[in-house]
Amino acid sequence: MCAEEIGFVEKYDLLGCIQCGRCTGGCPVALRTDLRVRCFMYDTQNEERLEELSERPEIWDCTTCYTCAARCPKGLEPLEVLIGLRSLQIEEGRVQPTVRDALESIFKDGNPWGSPRAKRLDWTAGLEVEALEPEAEEATDVLLFVCCTDAYDPRVMKVAQALVKVLNAAGVDFGIIGEEESCCGSEVRRLGEEGLFEMCDEENVELLNSFNVNRIVTVSPHCYNTLKKEYHGLKHPVLHYTELVAELLEEGKLQLSKEMAKVITYHDPCFLGKQNDIYDEPRYIITRIPGVEFREFDRCRERSLCCEGGGGKMWVESESKAERLAEIRVEDAKELGAEIIAVACPFCLLTLEDATKVKGVEEEMRVADILELLAEAL
Amino acid sequence: MKDIFVLIEHRRGEMRDVSVEMLCGAAKLGGTVVAVLLGKDVDAFAEKAAGYADKVLYVNDPLFENYNSEAYQKALSALIKEHGPGLVLIGNTAQGVDLAPALAVELGASLLTDITALEMDGDKPKPTRTFYGGKLDAHFTMKDADLYILTVREATFTAEDPSKTGEIVKVDNPVTEDLSYRKFVEYVEPEVGEVDITQSTLLVGVGRGIREDKNMPVVEELAQALGADLAASRAVVDAGWLPSDRQVGISGKTVKPKLYLAVGISGAFQHVTGMKGSEVIVAINKDPDAPIFGIADYGIVDDLFKVVPKLTEKIKELKGA
Amino acid sequence: MNMVVCVKRVPDTAESEVHIDASGKDIDKSRLSFGINECDNYAVEEAIQIKERLGEGTVTVVSLGDKDSDEVIRMALAKGGDEAMRLEDDAFKGGDGLATAKALAAAIKGLEYDIVFTGALADDDGYAVVPAALGELLGVPHATYVKKVEILEPGKRAKVGRELEGGLMEFLEIDLPCVLGIQTGINEPRYASFKGIKQAAKKEIAVKSAADLGLNASEVGEAGSWAVLEKFTPPVVGEMAEILEGEPEETAAKLAAILKEKGLV
Repeated sequence: MCAEEIGFVEKYDLLGCIQCGRCTGGCPVALRTDLRVRCFMYDTQNEERLEELSERPEIWDCTTCYTCAARCPKGLEPLEVLIGLRSLQIEEGRVQPTVRDALESIFKDGNPWGSPRAKRLDWTAGLEVEALEPEAEEATDVLLFVCCTDAYDPRVMKVAQALVKVLNAAGVDFGIIGEEESCCGSEVRRLGEEGLFEMCDEENVELLNSFNVNRIVTVSPHCYNTLKKEYHGLKHPVLHYTELVAELLEEGKLQLSKEMAKVITYHDPCFLGKQNDIYDEPRYIITRIPGVEFREFDRCRERSLCCEGGGGKMWVESESKAERLAEIRVEDAKELGAEIIAVACPFCLLTLEDATKVKGVEEEMRVADILELLAEAL
Repeated sequence: MKDIFVLIEHRRGEMRDVSVEMLCGAAKLGGTVVAVLLGKDVDAFAEKAAGYADKVLYVNDPLFENYNSEAYQKALSALIKEHGPGLVLIGNTAQGVDLAPALAVELGASLLTDITALEMDGDKPKPTRTFYGGKLDAHFTMKDADLYILTVREATFTAEDPSKTGEIVKVDNPVTEDLSYRKFVEYVEPEVGEVDITQSTLLVGVGRGIREDKNMPVVEELAQALGADLAASRAVVDAGWLPSDRQVGISGKTVKPKLYLAVGISGAFQHVTGMKGSEVIVAINKDPDAPIFGIADYGIVDDLFKVVPKLTEKIKELKGA
Repeated sequence: MNMVVCVKRVPDTAESEVHIDASGKDIDKSRLSFGINECDNYAVEEAIQIKERLGEGTVTVVSLGDKDSDEVIRMALAKGGDEAMRLEDDAFKGGDGLATAKALAAAIKGLEYDIVFTGALADDDGYAVVPAALGELLGVPHATYVKKVEILEPGKRAKVGRELEGGLMEFLEIDLPCVLGIQTGINEPRYASFKGIKQAAKKEIAVKSAADLGLNASEVGEAGSWAVLEKFTPPVVGEMAEILEGEPEETAAKLAAILKEKGLV
C-alpha cells in the first residue's frame, strides 16, 4: 500500500528503465530547474537513498504533466517516482507551509483555498443553477462537477459562471452538487498525500453515485482526469466540458451569434491533451465562434508546453529564477500575433494570465477560458 | 463601596496609556481609586498617577525594576490582602495577562479578562468583552465575590486631564523572601528592516483576505502606484508573506500614517489598536460586517481581487494626468 | 523530558460570518468548520520539536471537549504525540477561563511533566486565562505569549522569550516544571498526514469525567465560573465608514477621487 511496504523498485518497475533519457529530454521543467527525472529513475533503485532523495527540493518542481510517461519507450511513469518521493516527505509532515495549508483545508473544508465550505456556492450568485437532490426519481442529464478553483477563485469563478450561462442557453438539463461538493483530490494525489486522496476517492464516489444523472461534466481537466481514471467504482460516465459543448454545437443546440474578430490561439492543458487525448473538441469550439482567426502554437497538441500549474505547483514555488514556462508560452503567443490565448483549465488560466502581467502585455493579450469566449459570443 | 485598585503598568521608563485610562474609568465607578505602583525609582509615575487617583501605593524596590510575574504577584496579593479592595483593574496587556489569572487563582477572586466596557451594579461589575475576534460583543454579569479582578483592554476608558491630587503612600516591599523560579534576563528589540512603517506617510495594510503568497503582487502594485509602503496583519506575517517588521498591531508596530488602506483586513482588535490613529482609514473587505468598517472613514464592500486592480489602475491614471 | 500540550477545538470564524443563535448566548455553528485553536497548533509543534531535539521524552495531549475533539487530538498524535486524554462531562460545559483551567489542572496533576504547553489564547473566547491560571493551580511557574523556548538544562531550567507590545521580546529564565502559553509564529507547524491521523486513531484516548478527576460538578463548567454570559450582541460600531457603492470599476474610481481630493495621491 505505501511506499515503505512495497519497494520503489517493484512499485515503479524501476528495473525496466533503460536510462535512455527520453524522460528528461522531454521534461519541460528541465528547461528551468535542476530536475533530472532520469537520474531519479536510477537513484531510487537504491532503497537506502530514498530518504535523502526525498529531501531534494527539485522533486517539487515536477508538474506531473505526463510528458515523461508519454514518451517512455518502456511504458514507465517516471513522474510517479517523484510523487512517491513526495509521499515520503508528506508522511514525515515535512512540506512547505502553503502545501500544508492547502491539504489541511481540503481535509477540513473540502477545498484547498482555505475558504469555508459555507462559501462554496458564492460563485452562483445571480445565476440560474440548482443543486440536485440525491436519489431523485427522475434522472437529470448532466451533473456539473465544479472545481474548487472555479468555485472560490474570484478570477476563475467567471469560467464556471460562463458555463452555467452556456448550458442554460443550450437548454441542457443540469444541476450541481451544492455545498457538499468537495475537492476531487487530483492535486492531493500529486502532492504525494495518498491517504487523503483515498478519502477524496471514497467520499466523492459515494456522493456522486448518490445522484440520478446520465453523466458528469467537469469544468477542470484535472477533476476530469481524476474522476475518470483514478476513482474506484464511479458509476456515471465523465466528460470534460469541451466534449459536452462540442456536442451541443454539433447538434445545433447552441447558437453563437456575436462576432469575435480576434486572432486566437489555444493552449492545450496537459491533463486534457497529453493525458486524455482531447485535442479536437476545444479547437472545434473556438473555430465555431464567428469571426475568429485561429492560429496554432508551434508547440501544440502532444508537444504542447506545460504551464506549470499542475502537480500541486499552485502551492509550491520553484527555487529557479529562470523564465517560467507560462512566460515562454506568452512570448510564443505574441510572436504568433495572437490577441487571445484560449485555455480550458483553471490552472492554465491563472498561470498564463500571471505571465501576461509579468511580461507587461496584459493590455494587448487576453487569456480567457473557452467558456468565457463562448458566453460572449452567445 | 470598597476601594478600587488600579495597577500602574510601565516598562523601560514609560508609563503605559492604559494605566491612566483605567484610573479615569475607575473614577467614574464611585469609591476610592487607589493606584498601585511597583517599580524602582519611578517617583515621576507616582506623581503622574496621583493626578488621577485618590491614593497612590508606591513600592520602590529594585525587585520591580523589570516586570516579573512572581515578584508582582507576591507584592500585589500582599497589598490586596492588607487593604481589601473590592475591584482590581489590570491592563489586558502582555503583562496583565501573565499576571491577573494567577493572582485571581491565588486570592480566590472572580476574574474576567479583556473587558471593553464596564458598568457597575452596586459593588458588582457588569463587564462587556468581545468574542470571535471582535465579531460579537458578549455581555456578562459576575457571581457574588469579595474581590473582582478585571483586565481592561486599551482604550476601553478615555484618558482625561488630571483632576486629583492623591496622597502618595510609600510602602515597604511586602516581598521579603528571595525569588526563585522566574528571573528576568533582558529585553531584545525587534529587528529593524529596510522599511520603518512607523515613519511611512502612506500605508497599504494587507490581511488574511489576500489568501496566498502569490496574490501579494495585487497589493504590491497598489502600494507602488500610491507610493505607499506595505504593512500587514499578524496572519500575513505568521504566514511569512511579509517580514515581521511590517506587522501592525499590539504585538507589532503602532502606525499613524496620513492614509491607511486596509485590504482584506477584518479589523481584529489586535490589529486595529496599531493603526486606528491613522488620519484617513480606508477598508476594502468583502464581509460587510467586518469590524474594520467601524473605524474606517471610507469602505468598499467587495472582493479585493476585483477592486484593488481597478483602484491601482485609477491611481495610475490620476498620477499620470 | 515529559511534556503536556493542551489543545482546544474551535470554530473557524476568521473567514466566516458569525450569527447569534436563538438562545442569544451562543452562535449558530451548523455551517462553520472546526479545527485546532491556532496558538495550540504552535504549542503542539513546540513540544514535539523539543522532544525531537532532546532525543527523548513524551508528549501527552490533553483536551477538554466532546467526542468531536478527538479529531484535533489525533492530529497532534499523528505529528508526534504519545498519549492523549480528553476531559468530557456535562459538568465541564459553559466554563469560563478559570473553570477550564481547574479541569485541566486536575487532569495534569496526576501526570509526570516538565513543561505544560498551552496556546496563549483561544480564537473563540479570547480569554487568555489558562496559561497563568494553570501554573498557579499546579503550583508551578508560568509564562505567557511565549515565542521562544530554549531548554537550558532538561528537567531543570529553560530560557523563554515573551512577545510584548511592539514586538519587544522579554527574555527570562524559568524553573521547570512550568506552564508556557505559546504565541503563534514561534515555529512552523508540521503537516499531519491522513495516514498518520488514521494510525493515530488506533491510540487510545483516555476519556475522563469530572468525577474521574476528583472534581465536584459545582467547581467546574458554568457552575464553577465567576463570569456569567448574559447575551451576545453584534458589536456596536462607532461611526460607520462611508460605504462606496457600485461595481468595482465605480467604487475604485470613487475611492481614487477621494484620495486625490484629500491630497493623498
